[in-house]
Amino acid sequence: MEKLIRQYWWKALGVLILLYVFVVGMLVPLKPGITLVAPSSAKTGQELILEIEGYNTNFDKAEDTLRMWLKMDNERSLAAKSIDVIGPRNARVAFNIPDYLPSSQRVQDFALVIDNPIDGASVRPNAVLITQDSIDPDQGIQQWVNENMTGLHEKQGITFPFRNILGETIRNTYFHVSLWLAMMIIFIAAMVYSIKYLRRLDNRYDYWASALTSVGLLLGGLGLLTGAIWAEYTWGKFWSWDIKQFTTLIALLIYMAYFVLRSAFPDEAQRARISAVYNIFAFIALIPLIYVLPRLTDSLHPGNGGNPALGGEDLDNTMRMVFYPAVIGWTLVSSWIASLLYRTSQIEEYLWDKWDEDDNYEK
Amino acid sequence: MTICYLCDQMNMLQQTMRLLWRDWILEWRTRYALSGIVLYVLATIVLVYSALIDIQPKVWNAIFWVIILFAAVSAIVKSFVQESQSRQLYYYNLVHPLALLLAKMIYNTSLLFLLSLLSWGALALLTGNPVKETGLFILAIFLGSMGLSIAFTFVSAISAKAQNSATLMAILGFPVIIPILLTLVKIGANALRLIQDTSISSDILILVAINLVLLSVSILLYPFLWRD
Repeated sequence: MEKLIRQYWWKALGVLILLYVFVVGMLVPLKPGITLVAPSSAKTGQELILEIEGYNTNFDKAEDTLRMWLKMDNERSLAAKSIDVIGPRNARVAFNIPDYLPSSQRVQDFALVIDNPIDGASVRPNAVLITQDSIDPDQGIQQWVNENMTGLHEKQGITFPFRNILGETIRNTYFHVSLWLAMMIIFIAAMVYSIKYLRRLDNRYDYWASALTSVGLLLGGLGLLTGAIWAEYTWGKFWSWDIKQFTTLIALLIYMAYFVLRSAFPDEAQRARISAVYNIFAFIALIPLIYVLPRLTDSLHPGNGGNPALGGEDLDNTMRMVFYPAVIGWTLVSSWIASLLYRTSQIEEYLWDKWDEDDNYEK
Repeated sequence: MTICYLCDQMNMLQQTMRLLWRDWILEWRTRYALSGIVLYVLATIVLVYSALIDIQPKVWNAIFWVIILFAAVSAIVKSFVQESQSRQLYYYNLVHPLALLLAKMIYNTSLLFLLSLLSWGALALLTGNPVKETGLFILAIFLGSMGLSIAFTFVSAISAKAQNSATLMAILGFPVIIPILLTLVKIGANALRLIQDTSISSDILILVAINLVLLSVSILLYPFLWRD
């Protein structure tokens, strides 16, 4: 460890990785998507004209090959009657809605699917709700002119997934989520050093534990901040006392108390021992707080209250190529900061000892 | 190594029981915690009652757990502070340190359980009893007193080492007991039938798990804490 903190390669590696994360994470475009479909409801037996606004799309370049469907389920979809392209991001499309739907529900939701060779295929789930006046599934099956979606295209090149509620903020995954994971790694390291201190009673372990804890607190604060910014975009409010936000705040308070506790002891050995005990206690108290309780309560946060967690479609392979390096990069850079804090406290100790010696000498 | 004069004559359970008995006798002599808490509960209830007149079950649930929380703080804060350093050194010579910690935890749990039942009774007398599921509520009170006692006893053992220990205990203790309180409020709301929750058994399990984890961490860490 003493040798490692004087070497440069891992610090440079951390900075390079973060540089890569910032450049790639910020510059890679999003996949084309559909941001607006209007009107969002219709009735049966009419010609439905939809105004469509795309995102990162090239409707004008692909005018001749543009295809659109209203998709009811995996077997049934309705092809567009005519498509008017207004601009690269805007189009007007007409569908013939039959008098009856092959469904026994009064209101049926349809997804809009757009496909062309340049943008690839994009989907907006629950784009249109169609209400039928009278329900007759048998007649609906007879009237239905099915047109299966075949030969859908894939977008060429590197892109991040497009999600309606996230939009461009999907890039926050590389900051909010990875800062949080890096914080957990740093806090675990701090706990390991606290255990080491209790076993060996070596002051250096105490310096490590305190340095790592303060860096972990910084990462946690940044995680909370980036989370609040994300919440402003997706939930509409920076702070809504969501259980996840609340328990996270409490978790950070637990670690702030660690520094209050440290400042309460003038004696170095006593401070080191008691704060090591508290650090282990705090980490254990942290686990139910951030990983168990939010899962049992209603929450807007992914992974809680029955929401799906990170993964699946939200984290595709392109994102993984930035996300995992981001975790490593944040961890490396924060270890660097921690090692600087560690060395500062060593110098401090040395200076205090020297000052004590000089003081005694003068007397 | 620990010098433990009574260890040859008694095992740790007997030591714990003896210390527990001594704590109860001390409490009975002064009735400090009991009378203090009764006064505290009455003052709170009168204040809330005169401000709200009609206390809704939802408010009742909140008030009850707030009372328990502050009762726990004021009862437990003196666990390790009330006795002088030299007398504690004497105890550590007599008995195993863990017996001392366990005795304090059991004593605080029983005291807090008793105080909770008392404040429940006092609240029910003055504002009516909105608790529909008595068994569940008593279970919540018991597990809650246990969790709060374990967490606060350990935190008071930490903060007793510093000067300004009451403040330090509040700073260290409050964030740690938030998970327990959140679960307690939820179980309490269930017992008052404010919400219908099918996952109530998992809430109880969570509370038991938190208690056990805090207890085992305290037992593991106390050997590093007590000696100076």
